[in-house]
Amino acid sequence: MLTVEALDVFYGRAQALHGIGFEVRAGQVLVLLGRNGAGKSTTMKALIGLLRPAAGRVVFAGRDLTGAAPHRIARAGIGYVPEERRIFPELTVAENLAVGRQKPRDGLEPWTPARLYALFPNLGAMPERLGARMSGGEQQMLAIARSMMGNPQLILLDEPSEGLAPLIVEQMAQAILALKAEGVTVLLAEQNLHFAQALADVAVVIEGGSIVWQGSMAALRADAAARARYLAV
Amino acid sequence: MLITALNGLAAAATLFLLASGLTVIFGATRIVNFAHGSLYMLGAYLGWSILARLPHTPWGFALGAVATMAALALFGALLEIGLLRRIYRAPELFQLLATFGVVLMVQDVVQHLWGPAELSLPRPPWLRGFVLLGGARYPRFDLIVIAVFPVLLGALWLGFTRTRWGVLVRAATQDRDMLAALGVDQRLLFTSVFALGAALAGLAGILALPDGSADLTMDLSAVTDAFVVVVVGGLGSLSGAALASLLLGMLQSFGVLWLPRASLVLAFAAMAMVLALRPNGLLGRPLAGRGVGEVVAFIRPAPRALRLAGWFALGAAACAPLILGPYALSVLMEMLIAMLFAASLHLMMGPGGMPSFGHAAWFGIGAYAAALAVHALAAPLPLALPAAVLLAAFAAAAFGWFVVRLSGVYLAMLTLAFAQICWAIAFQWGDVTGGDNGILGVWPGLGVRGFYWLVLALCAGGTLLLRRVLAAPFGHALRASRDSSLRAEAIGLDTGRLRLAAFTLAGAAAGLAGGLYAFAEGSVFPTYISLQRSVDALLMVLLGGVQTISGPILGAFAYTGLYDTLLSLTDYWRFVLGAMIIVLVLAFPQGLAGVRLPGAAR
Repeated sequence: MLTVEALDVFYGRAQALHGIGFEVRAGQVLVLLGRNGAGKSTTMKALIGLLRPAAGRVVFAGRDLTGAAPHRIARAGIGYVPEERRIFPELTVAENLAVGRQKPRDGLEPWTPARLYALFPNLGAMPERLGARMSGGEQQMLAIARSMMGNPQLILLDEPSEGLAPLIVEQMAQAILALKAEGVTVLLAEQNLHFAQALADVAVVIEGGSIVWQGSMAALRADAAARARYLAV
Repeated sequence: MLITALNGLAAAATLFLLASGLTVIFGATRIVNFAHGSLYMLGAYLGWSILARLPHTPWGFALGAVATMAALALFGALLEIGLLRRIYRAPELFQLLATFGVVLMVQDVVQHLWGPAELSLPRPPWLRGFVLLGGARYPRFDLIVIAVFPVLLGALWLGFTRTRWGVLVRAATQDRDMLAALGVDQRLLFTSVFALGAALAGLAGILALPDGSADLTMDLSAVTDAFVVVVVGGLGSLSGAALASLLLGMLQSFGVLWLPRASLVLAFAAMAMVLALRPNGLLGRPLAGRGVGEVVAFIRPAPRALRLAGWFALGAAACAPLILGPYALSVLMEMLIAMLFAASLHLMMGPGGMPSFGHAAWFGIGAYAAALAVHALAAPLPLALPAAVLLAAFAAAAFGWFVVRLSGVYLAMLTLAFAQICWAIAFQWGDVTGGDNGILGVWPGLGVRGFYWLVLALCAGGTLLLRRVLAAPFGHALRASRDSSLRAEAIGLDTGRLRLAAFTLAGAAAGLAGGLYAFAEGSVFPTYISLQRSVDALLMVLLGGVQTISGPILGAFAYTGLYDTLLSLTDYWRFVLGAMIIVLVLAFPQGLAGVRLPGAAR
């Protein structure tokens, strides 16, 4: 579904990504693991088009999206949930969802606020609440729901568990599994290995902007040496 | 009382029509559209031509208003696509400059198409109608204008809260990148917002016709009013603009009653008070700082070659009177004065990080202070010049006290508004300033050569002094507070006082330049405080390169030469100058700071 080939990304003169390449298959959950500053968020931003790669290719559902504008990439069927959530603070929950709305996609049941409120009951209880007045967990749910309004085939979830209470993290994991069950492909960036293990089929470990390990989640679980080397804090 | 209140409401409605378009455009695109007054002027002129071809009935007028709005919307859309879209990420000063280029071009185009004379509407009976209110007659048309206020406010409110378009525009004001990542094409959104703002300006223009006329100065007076309203209300806030329009409209109407002369001063005092209490305006929120750090000035000692060239140029300038005739000397003096003026602006906006769009205010205050000292007090030059410096410094300190804490856009708009108010005072207070006729017979009482040497000594000395100041610890501290005021305060610098000191110093230097200019020309006129002169100084600094301290010096000489050539070559110098500004900004959208000019060594 998504093929990333040899991606190089720079901030000014500093190179942040060195030849990142991986593939996400339809219906999978792939997790990008790595410590702070490893390049997870940079990869996500480059995929949605907020950063322009200096080299490499991004192919999604057979279309070359390398260097395309963010709104084109989003319309091609990729949803983006940034690490900072970036809820529109002065819009209500319902308005935030309305901003995300895009045309229905062939063969998928279109997402509506009602369906999303069923998935995230907390949001359904506060459609008129302003974005600025929500807790971190509620904002995270809204960010995911908002990106689903665009009926994406693939969503990029950047550290959805960050800074949330354990109970909320558990809810978040359930929601992501529910999305997976609906046929949505997920690219997840995480530091929380425990959270990732519960969700992901495939893992890609990055460090210093390069891929240092990739394989199935089961293989990573079995590889204690790799876990200690790349992920232990 | 009722009539005065109604007049206030009518004034408020006019202000709101102007300010709503400006604030809506700013909210979505973060561009301060200097050309908003030009859109208003185009609305008035176009409206005049359209109405002349329609029946003189209320329905004809309404149809004409709709047609004018449509034409302006189209013009606005083309302007956005052709120019503004390309400079959304440019430093704010460049955006202001580019839209000022549009102001200049529109002025010449309008003058070419409609001629220089004022145009007023024929007044058919329905426009002359009166309504009896509490025993007094009130013009019916003014009631219509008043009615437009709530109707427009309501329509805009509904549009922004109840339509998908409105929700998307509000989302764009909050986080543009996120909006794009959600699949929204902002280009269309911004073009439509700009078209809406232009249509509102056009409506304001055509509604101004029945009670007034279309003339060539209405663009700048309108944009100044709109700036004041938008700053008082809070940039980007629609309800803030409505509230500020009411406040200032009422103040204007009742102010004329109580203090006939001081209506402008009242408006300014209100603005100062609001900003002292609420630095972001009545309902404004702090702007996400884009920082003024884009305009970076590196200050290093001049390299040996440049220093030698400088001393050589100074020596040559000192010998000039022995060779050159009076005309050449007067051109040289003009250049020297421009150099000091540009260097003072450079101090403020480069190392000081305070963009100023009204630097002519200090120049003009200096010029008028010198001229008035000579005229009213019969003071000789050695007393008149210090008076010019002191008065300009005092005015800069007083005004600076209110504004140095503000962010870039507010500062640029407020300095502009202040300069326009100074201009209006010079223009209107005929008893003291001579109004449009100015003050004549301000002669230095020295020979041409003697005065030239004085100008050379003061301008070169002043510029070198400003340069010395920047290399001193004060200059370092000033740049530290520009680059990161939080960190500067954390190491114990009083950033407010530093900025105020720089503001005052720049004002004093500009005042000296103005005082010298008064003596050099032998006269002062309101044009000394005109917006054009502020922009001249900006162009000199930008032309030479903000990053260098020798930049303004070279820029002043280059620009003065260019300007004189342009004036002699074509009647449409405004059009050419405006086009050149736009080309300059489009060619270097990140600011000239990113470019090293071969001539301007560090």
